[in-house]
Amino acid sequence: MKGNTKVRTDRRRFLKLLSSALAAMAMLPVLSRAAAEGLVRKPIRATGEKLPVIGLGTWRTFNVGSDPELLDARTEVVRAFFRHGGGLVDSSPMYGSAPDVMGYALKKLGVPESLFSAEKVWSPAGGSARQQFQQLAARWGLPEFNLLQVHNLVDWQQQLEALRELKAEGKIQYIGITTSHGRRHREFERVMASGDIDFAQLTYNITHREVESRLLPLARERGIAVIANRPYDGGRLIKGLKRSEKVPAWAREECGCRTWADFLLKFIVSHPAVNCAIPATTRVDHLNENMQAGHALMPSPGCRQKMVRHIESL
Amino acid sequence: MSAWSSYRLEDFIPFTADVYYRLLERMGEDFWPLHLLTLLLGGTVLLLALRGRARLACLLLALPWLFVGVAYFMQRYGELNWAGRDIGWAFVLQGTLLAAAGASGFGIDRPARAIAPAVMLGMLLGLLGLLGMPLIAPLVGFDWFQAETFAIHPAPTAIVTLGVVLVLFRGIFLWAAGIIPLAWISVSGLTLLVLDAPWTPVMFAALAAGVLGLAVKSVAAYRRPPRGGAA
Repeated sequence: MKGNTKVRTDRRRFLKLLSSALAAMAMLPVLSRAAAEGLVRKPIRATGEKLPVIGLGTWRTFNVGSDPELLDARTEVVRAFFRHGGGLVDSSPMYGSAPDVMGYALKKLGVPESLFSAEKVWSPAGGSARQQFQQLAARWGLPEFNLLQVHNLVDWQQQLEALRELKAEGKIQYIGITTSHGRRHREFERVMASGDIDFAQLTYNITHREVESRLLPLARERGIAVIANRPYDGGRLIKGLKRSEKVPAWAREECGCRTWADFLLKFIVSHPAVNCAIPATTRVDHLNENMQAGHALMPSPGCRQKMVRHIESL
Repeated sequence: MSAWSSYRLEDFIPFTADVYYRLLERMGEDFWPLHLLTLLLGGTVLLLALRGRARLACLLLALPWLFVGVAYFMQRYGELNWAGRDIGWAFVLQGTLLAAAGASGFGIDRPARAIAPAVMLGMLLGLLGLLGMPLIAPLVGFDWFQAETFAIHPAPTAIVTLGVVLVLFRGIFLWAAGIIPLAWISVSGLTLLVLDAPWTPVMFAALAAGVLGLAVKSVAAYRRPPRGGAA
């Protein structure tokens, strides 16, 4: 008798669990859609296509070689990114095995509609821009890329010419140039001013705001979409803040920042010229934090100034 | 801003700490139980060096450099770092140099007294690389397979070799045989520094001991009368 009761209880529990699991599974697309709908999107000025303001960088974090354990771990990061409705993933032939890791993840997960693939051509990797494009497309397992950029302005004249041809052939949608760490800004500005480019990728974060004076206004003037790299200054900025400081109460109330990830990323993407920030991470919990920052409310201009003053006071 | 002043050490390390630790672990897993044999090989090399069997010690020491150059750098590390294959070739070159010294006897010093400072430093480095390094990972809470082992992983291979070089070589050959191990210990120390690894100080201590040993032996040789010369 006692045994029968236990079996009945177990069966009831099992059925309850099963129905909860089925309900959760049924909810997944809804949740995913809700997450995607909640993300702030900004238009690429060349076409009006809207891009979620938080993307995914892969420098250092996605260079895992052929290690099956780490390949699966990074696939989970990519899965979480798309579940949040993420779009832009940025990589480079300079990032070691990162393009292969993206290929592995996309093969396992399928290619989501929201993917906005951003790659780069980089002369030291060898081969022409066209050859690099073909190799990278094979590594990602994609027929084409949304965006192809000239990495760190290396040989930009020849490379941009080749990218324009690829764009004309319909193999890529957009072309762009990149820099980081505040390097070669004068030359970068010249290319932005004279070149026919859709995207400019540069370093912009709350402690590195040099681009506010010339490059970001120029991007607005020329209708160039901007990707901000190194949003956490290579990780040290957010690590330092998380270790020693609390997010101020006013930032929560006035700027919608519950975490330091909110604080740092919302600051970047609330700049009117910036389309997208690309934090890189190896961890799903950090990815979740980053993606939360892509939701409204965004800081007002007054709030942004207050954020700067706060960071400078620390 | 000048382009070069904007570079930081972390810009030259293209992977994260978990990837590096997994690399160490994969080497450990893939080649276990070769570790037992390599520890025996390392012990034999140190013993031969101490007993003046320099040429055989060099010949045996060449093998780990060739193995680590191919198995670690060319086949695994090279996937993560553009420079990986080139470093692999540098390891193969070091193995070839040691084999050549073993075969020809070129650059090998006369047997030194065990209490000579450079010999003592060399032996300390040898023991650190052979016995100390494998214990560090488990002592700081890492997996046994992440334990860095002589002739499986590059850092203990370089440290043991630097120790043996201090015991066996002389003059310009002392520096020629020591430069690649020293270079790798430096690169390894800087990598660990960026990755915030708990055993970073060990690498810099080994580097300092190695440089000190090379300097002490060079100065001692300068003061020592030449072989067969009048006192």
